[in-house]
Amino acid sequence: MIATQERQDMPAAEPRTINLITAVTEALHEEMERDSRVVLFGQDVGARGGVFMATAGLQATFGKDRVFDTPLSEASIVGAAVGMAVRGLRPVAEIQFADYMGPGFDQIISQAAKMRYRSGGQYTAPLVIRTPSGGGVKGGHHHSQSPESYYTHTPGLKVVMPSTPYDAKGLLKAAIRGEDPVIFFEPKRLYRASKGEVPGHDYIVRIGEAVIRREGTDLSLIGYGGVMPDLERAADALAAEGVSVEVIDLRSLVPWDKELVVASVQKTGRAVLVSEAPRISNFMGEVAYSIQAAAFDSLLAPVGQVAGFDTPYPYVQDKVYLPGPNRITAACVQALNY
Amino acid sequence: MTTSPPVESLATAGIQPFTAEPIRYVGEDGLPVQPLPAAYTPERLRELHAVMLRAREFDRKLITLLRQGRTTFYAQSSGMEATQVGLAHSVRPGHDWVWPYYRDHTLALALGVPMFELISQCLGSNSDPSRGRQMPHHFAARKQNFVSISSSIANQVPPATGTAMAQKYLGTDEITVCTFGDGATSEGDWHAGMNMAGAMAAPCLFVCENNQWAISTNLRGQTASENIHIKAKAYGMPGFYVDGNDIVAVMEVCTHAAGWVRAGNGPALVECLTYRVGSHSNADADAEKNYRTREEVQEWLGRDPVVRVEKLLEHLGHPIESEERAAMIAAVHREVDEQVIRAEATGQPDWRIMFEDVYSDMPAHLREEAAMMRAEQEGGSR
Ligand SMILES: Cc1ncc(C[n+]2csc(CCOP(=O)(O)OP(=O)(O)O)c2C)c(N)n1
Repeated sequence: MIATQERQDMPAAEPRTINLITAVTEALHEEMERDSRVVLFGQDVGARGGVFMATAGLQATFGKDRVFDTPLSEASIVGAAVGMAVRGLRPVAEIQFADYMGPGFDQIISQAAKMRYRSGGQYTAPLVIRTPSGGGVKGGHHHSQSPESYYTHTPGLKVVMPSTPYDAKGLLKAAIRGEDPVIFFEPKRLYRASKGEVPGHDYIVRIGEAVIRREGTDLSLIGYGGVMPDLERAADALAAEGVSVEVIDLRSLVPWDKELVVASVQKTGRAVLVSEAPRISNFMGEVAYSIQAAAFDSLLAPVGQVAGFDTPYPYVQDKVYLPGPNRITAACVQALNY
Repeated sequence: MTTSPPVESLATAGIQPFTAEPIRYVGEDGLPVQPLPAAYTPERLRELHAVMLRAREFDRKLITLLRQGRTTFYAQSSGMEATQVGLAHSVRPGHDWVWPYYRDHTLALALGVPMFELISQCLGSNSDPSRGRQMPHHFAARKQNFVSISSSIANQVPPATGTAMAQKYLGTDEITVCTFGDGATSEGDWHAGMNMAGAMAAPCLFVCENNQWAISTNLRGQTASENIHIKAKAYGMPGFYVDGNDIVAVMEVCTHAAGWVRAGNGPALVECLTYRVGSHSNADADAEKNYRTREEVQEWLGRDPVVRVEKLLEHLGHPIESEERAAMIAAVHREVDEQVIRAEATGQPDWRIMFEDVYSDMPAHLREEAAMMRAEQEGGSR
């Protein structure tokens, strides 16, 4: 029998600058080292290291019992993760693209999300499903969609989307150590584009806490995932015009940090919400509702929203579809001039 | 994870996979059609009979509860007792794991899930271990490793494979048992889970309780496949075909198949050919009028698994006398009545349970919603 135990000590080292996908790999590596219950599987994750190489080298390190390829079946991958978690492992399943979670959808919403609730806490399913999502890589609609709202709509799931290496590593570790099923979206266009420092020591980023990327007083610009660099660019452009923008990265969608967002809008009086998912039933609709319900008296303008269009994700118009800095800036200007 | 050895290498001790006819030990007349293994002494057969009769009468009483409006949903297993009780004997309760489907209360009873828990769940009372969160007849019993049931057909198949994979990873000697109806074998999840189990050589025993109807769709309308068990071939596992109304045959075949799985050979599929005598559920009261013939039902009533054991015992010179049988039935009815009273006395869970167990700890938005609910409750309900 394989001893299943956790290792607490992680050797301390100097902080390093890495990219987002390396942060994912490091988180997986360290968690597998720490806890032998953590197993990793999906399509091509073993020798190949995953389509984006997020699991590169892990099979060589941890062996084929802990890092393995599965048949081409998302229903099996997600379903098996549920069954493993119920039996006491900490499965981390990879779905090659968020667009391909469809065949596993029912396993996610009917099994993973409901296990604790429907059994009265007799059974739990602490699993993590990692999947690259979002556009900007010329992938057409089956490699570019942002389906997070389907999952935020399901009680019982935690839904996370980091935009920096620090958050990716810390949030993934928290997801693996937590007791709940987590859908972990990785903004694929930031895999290599997003670089940043991570500590040399072990750390987690708690699920449910947003972060203020830059402080400001005139407007709260709120987003998550792949759009975050564009929020920063828009904030730069507005700063050049003398506008002070507060940039917030939600990082977690369920649960999400309403307190931080509301406090920010109470301070600035204006909010613009940005995501690249289609607008109708977009998760940001929930954020907008909460802002007007909790900070109506502070609002100096209607809450602005920049989203993807309500079309299937287009191949050729990839960059046009996404809410870039121009569209974000324009929405901010509209709120400022209201 | 390695793949399983070729199915052809299966050592079968007289029980062959992929037979054209269902494997049978006892005929419809109660006479053995082949020598019974020594373990089936009259005492043993009487014990099995008692478990089957208990489940049969549980069905009858629960339908009464339904008519009285004390529960809202019930899926009978009358006619399927030999399949579920027979299967239970290849499971080590609390050691092996079971991913059941919603028609499995006879299996639950046979595995030792207390009747009190089953009734509590059907009533959604405070004593329901699932805390009144599931529709009736969707049990979960931790002590027996009887995992929580989803209403989604075939949804349990990929997770069962995962539990078996975990058992293999952990190096335990447990196996997983996964049950489903014939209709379930049309779902993508079924094929996905079976295929994965084969590819991963997962120690999972799949059992099809083929009662020949999926609500109003019969087996011929469900699949053009000759039968269900031959599908196992495609997934690289042995498929066994058994008379699901013959308790001896089900026990022998399931034990054999479970042994194959336990020995590390990978998964196996058993198809138990049986019949649900009653309606699909209370939502389908007029089965005979609407979609199946009286003749068909009569024919299957003649194959009643409980009666078959009674005939066998008579043949063996140990008949169950009619007063004895009546006393057994009366005892079950009393037992159900007592458990219903006990369960109802625990009351119903209050609104708070609605917000608990969604997550391991209650996030802010649920605390907010719970506070709203509390205010509404304390302000006097409308
Ligand atoms: C995914 C899904 N589709 C439809 C249903 C509605 N439904 C409930 S039971 C049932 C028939 C199932 O038949 P079978 O698998 O043969 O099991 P049986 O009830 O006959 O034992 C159907 C269609 C469901 N529960 N889940």
